[in-house]
Amino acid sequence: MKIVVGIKQVPETTNVKINEKTKNIDRRGLGGVINSYDLHALQAALAIRNQVGGEVITLSMGPDDFAVSLQETLALGADKAVLLSDRAFAGADTLATAYVLSEAIKKVGQVDLVLVGQQSVDADTGQVGPIIAEMLKVPQVTYADKIDAFKDHLVIDRKLENMEQTITAKLPILLTATDKANRPKYTNVVEIAKSFDKPIITWHAGDLDLDEKRVGQAGSPTIVRSISEPQKVAKKNHRLSNDPATAARELVDILKQKNILTEDK
Amino acid sequence: MDQNKTSKEILLRMVKSFTENEVAPFDMEIDHTRSYVNDLLNKIKETDLLSTMLPKEYGGAGFDGSTTAEMINEIARGNASLAVTLEGHFKSIDQIVKFGNQALKDEYLPQAKSRIIAFSMTEPSGGSNPLGINSHAKHVGDKWIINGDKIMITNGGLAEIYCVLVKTAPEELSFFVVDKDMEGFEFGKQENFLGLTGVPVGEIVMNNIEVDESHLLGKVGMGKEIGDSAHNDARVLMGAVLTGIMEHELDIVTDYATHRKAIDTPIIQMQGIQRKIADIAIAKETTKLLYQKAAWLKDNRQDYEEEAAMAKAYGSRSAVKSGDDALQILGGYGYSLDYPVEHLIRDARAMELAEGTVEKMRTEIALIEAKNRA
Repeated sequence: MKIVVGIKQVPETTNVKINEKTKNIDRRGLGGVINSYDLHALQAALAIRNQVGGEVITLSMGPDDFAVSLQETLALGADKAVLLSDRAFAGADTLATAYVLSEAIKKVGQVDLVLVGQQSVDADTGQVGPIIAEMLKVPQVTYADKIDAFKDHLVIDRKLENMEQTITAKLPILLTATDKANRPKYTNVVEIAKSFDKPIITWHAGDLDLDEKRVGQAGSPTIVRSISEPQKVAKKNHRLSNDPATAARELVDILKQKNILTEDK
Repeated sequence: MDQNKTSKEILLRMVKSFTENEVAPFDMEIDHTRSYVNDLLNKIKETDLLSTMLPKEYGGAGFDGSTTAEMINEIARGNASLAVTLEGHFKSIDQIVKFGNQALKDEYLPQAKSRIIAFSMTEPSGGSNPLGINSHAKHVGDKWIINGDKIMITNGGLAEIYCVLVKTAPEELSFFVVDKDMEGFEFGKQENFLGLTGVPVGEIVMNNIEVDESHLLGKVGMGKEIGDSAHNDARVLMGAVLTGIMEHELDIVTDYATHRKAIDTPIIQMQGIQRKIADIAIAKETTKLLYQKAAWLKDNRQDYEEEAAMAKAYGSRSAVKSGDDALQILGGYGYSLDYPVEHLIRDARAMELAEGTVEKMRTEIALIEAKNRA
């Protein structure tokens, strides 16, 4: 089975700074880590490969220093990695990102399974995976909690707000993995050195069959007008009456005033 | 891509995540139970953390001294005992790499991936004075017969392979490598130490252990040289452990002082508290620079004895003093056995003694300074 895993390098959450001008996360000089959901996607891909055979290719779009994260995926067991790096890709929103990733997946060719994390921990949109599936015209199952692989199909469990589903799906397909899908392994220290025997291929814009209007900022309809940290509001104490019945009535009144409780109609 | 830089970054990402998830949450439990809970010993084997600085030709990851020290620093931020267990193993590997004959390296270095190696000099009759020891090895045909009693061994009882200092003549010191599975090898008493309580510290007893010539580490009479080399390597890593302890202290005091209020003001706004926190930060950064310089000198094949001694001498007293400041900032919580500050002081205090006392460090530093000017 040929599996592509989407990898995003995200800033360590304690370090996040916003560029005032671009309203984007300022990634310059930040220590990065692999998006934690993508590690679950990678772990799932490695387990499937080990079960039914095939290869795992990790794919990331970003500046050259994202290669560290791809090298880490090779140390974790991926067979090869592809970095999509070009100045033309800068400023991409989820649509333009998914477009470039989907074109890269087409170039990889004969892909049976695309696995990505359910969302990234920095932007939290959860959109890139589903858009890739639409662009590739393959079915998608989001929020996969458990994936069992067979030679020509998968059985996927997903737990939604009000239902649990077990889906049998044919290939090719795109899945987004939750953090319940598995427990990612730590990088083996000795495998780090060995990982340099495996290839990281860099593709620039010219290596892909791209419509330049759909790439980077030009291909990004999303405009971030402003971004700010939530204001910290000081906690207030409100003392209720000692009598339980009165206190309950007071509490209900306060919750109604704040529109947390509403009258039944 | 710079392979060394990338490898280091991946290793340190892994160690940070490992420490945050597997080590730090169990810090108090390790201290209280005096054992590596959470299956930590198996986890450091499975992830090959035990092989961090083991040369690649013996199945290791082959990281340099600076990277290894930074890795120890990160683990110590989560729990100093585990960092010291690794330090004891790495310093022993270092001596086999430096002084071992090929047969000894081929036999024991590949095993270092899963079996901890310990280094043992101290006896009831001598610690910092190696000629005071009584253990001895006698050359009989093409074998050596070893007898003696070694105590206060870091990882003693946990380690499976031991580098032991013995006398091969009345004024002649030599090192041998023995295995716990050899006939005549016995474990003795375990120490009940004040700090670093996760690290087993114990005794081994050697009764007519017979080893091949290849088990002689270095040459006959090289005992002092090898012992000094091991001390130097250990002191670099102890600087890293002490930096980790002070980082842990800073994590605790900054969090506490930011949230703890006196009337309406967080106590971090108060100058008396700020001064203590700043002093801890300065001591932490100074110790870090000292151990990193020592490690850099070692990696670049220059003398690092003095800087290693400074990292340990300065770092150990500073970490104890910083722990005391942290205790004062936390008040009653600092004095409680249910909070971690008190055990950080006990942990740091061990390193004013182990691998040579701080008094001995200062003697070495002073003599090197004089020698440099002679």
